[in-house]
Amino acid sequence: MARLHVARYLLGSAFTGLWRNRTMTGGAIVTTAIMLITLAGFLAINDTLNQMVTALGRKSNLIAYVRDEARPTQVTAIIDDLRTRPGVGEVQFVSKEDALAIFESRFVDQRDILDVLQSNPLPASVELRLNNPAVVPELAQELQAMTAVFDDVVVPLDVVEEVIGISNLARVAGSVIIIALTGVTLFVIVNTIRIAVFARRQEIEIMKLVGATDWFVRGPFVAEGAIIGGIGAGIAAIALVVLYAQAAPVVTRIVSFLPVSTDTDFVRNLAVFTLLVGLIVGSLGSYFSVRRYLSV
Amino acid sequence: MIVLQSVTKSYGDVRAVDGVTLAISRGEFAFLMGTNGAGKTTLLRLISREEQPDAGVVLVGGGNTAELSGPSLTRLRRRMGVVYQDTRLMPNATVAENVALPLRVRGMGGSSVASGVTAVLERVGLADKKARFPRELSGGEQRKVAIARAVIASPEILLCDEPTESLSAERAAEIVDLLLDINADGVTTVVATHDTGTVNRLRRRVIHMDSGCVQSDTLVGSAAPSLPTNGPS
Repeated sequence: MARLHVARYLLGSAFTGLWRNRTMTGGAIVTTAIMLITLAGFLAINDTLNQMVTALGRKSNLIAYVRDEARPTQVTAIIDDLRTRPGVGEVQFVSKEDALAIFESRFVDQRDILDVLQSNPLPASVELRLNNPAVVPELAQELQAMTAVFDDVVVPLDVVEEVIGISNLARVAGSVIIIALTGVTLFVIVNTIRIAVFARRQEIEIMKLVGATDWFVRGPFVAEGAIIGGIGAGIAAIALVVLYAQAAPVVTRIVSFLPVSTDTDFVRNLAVFTLLVGLIVGSLGSYFSVRRYLSV
Repeated sequence: MIVLQSVTKSYGDVRAVDGVTLAISRGEFAFLMGTNGAGKTTLLRLISREEQPDAGVVLVGGGNTAELSGPSLTRLRRRMGVVYQDTRLMPNATVAENVALPLRVRGMGGSSVASGVTAVLERVGLADKKARFPRELSGGEQRKVAIARAVIASPEILLCDEPTESLSAERAAEIVDLLLDINADGVTTVVATHDTGTVNRLRRRVIHMDSGCVQSDTLVGSAAPSLPTNGPS
């Protein structure tokens, strides 16, 4: 019964405390919301940039031209092996006849050239579409070494290296900024709560002096911190969903040449993440802020 | 009930309490007299274990307060009621909420708290002001709220620091009568004051302090002469 009374009192005290200190409460909620919108917004931007870089990487192709005298069974075995390699997305065999058909469809005006020739001069080829541009140089070197099968290997190495560079830079820069921004967000939220607790330090002291246990004092403050963090994060999550819904079609249109995903799963997970961060940082911030005033 | 043995407490170079030895019996009413800086408040803070002595021993109910921490310190605090010089009422809580706090921390709730608050506020004459906030009360009324909070949980010991300071003679008399009434219930009561008028009016024990030391320990109005009425300083 006593525990029920205490639990009811602590929760009631939390809401009463929030209302009676509403200026401080409002400030803390707004600060939390702004910081979390900034953090979640950057996470969304970073994810989109990463997707763009990855999509750009998928544009990396490698073409190995097959010698006319290469045995078809040998080529098939190589293709089967390539399909099992990590970083390799799609492997397609283009026969001499396919190559000719492609040529004819692309260069309709220059069909006369083919008429002059007695036979099909175009080689068969193996075309690789890669998921990870980092594997291209090694793969190209390996195929080039198979001189009995492949005549030549064409790979846009300068483009690949550029993509790898951009990809690495984007990931490192993104990680650094996210870590820094997370640190700043936590610092600002915890300090906002510390200021709110500091303003009520006398209250904490009084409770201790009339015989309150540490948990009796902490309880309402931890609940208040969780409520402040939860409401602030809730505002941030709603703003994030609304802004993402507005921005996603624009981004998709601008980079229509890249298959950037702007699905709702990502933004929903980000909203849940934001909410959890708000609740946890709010309650833990209060827990540790109160602790320093308990040693009365 | 309360025993201090050669207790010393300093703040930096200032020795606030200097080798004090005294004993206060269960149910006794004692005044701690002295000018500002005499060491009265520090002595009360040592008894309530807000401070710990640099040297000497403070025993309350037979237990050494220096050895208390956590739950045992909480238990000691629950045996005491303290009226602070600055009242230390929670500014954002109503009179009823302030007074109810000692019952709340003991896990009480519902009608038992409501009836306890009503009874103690009637005793101090503030039953009609339970919904007010401290800032809406006069200085004397705030002191009464602080007293009500100190006694609501029926403590064994009541410590009061300058409860009549800045009050008119009439209001001061009301407060002192209230403290005597509480003491009559068997509550050991120690009142720090420099209000010589009040002290001379009552036949009670007076522990006179100066520069952190006990200068005299007498029963005013009986064997010992009256203290000079120099008024509050």
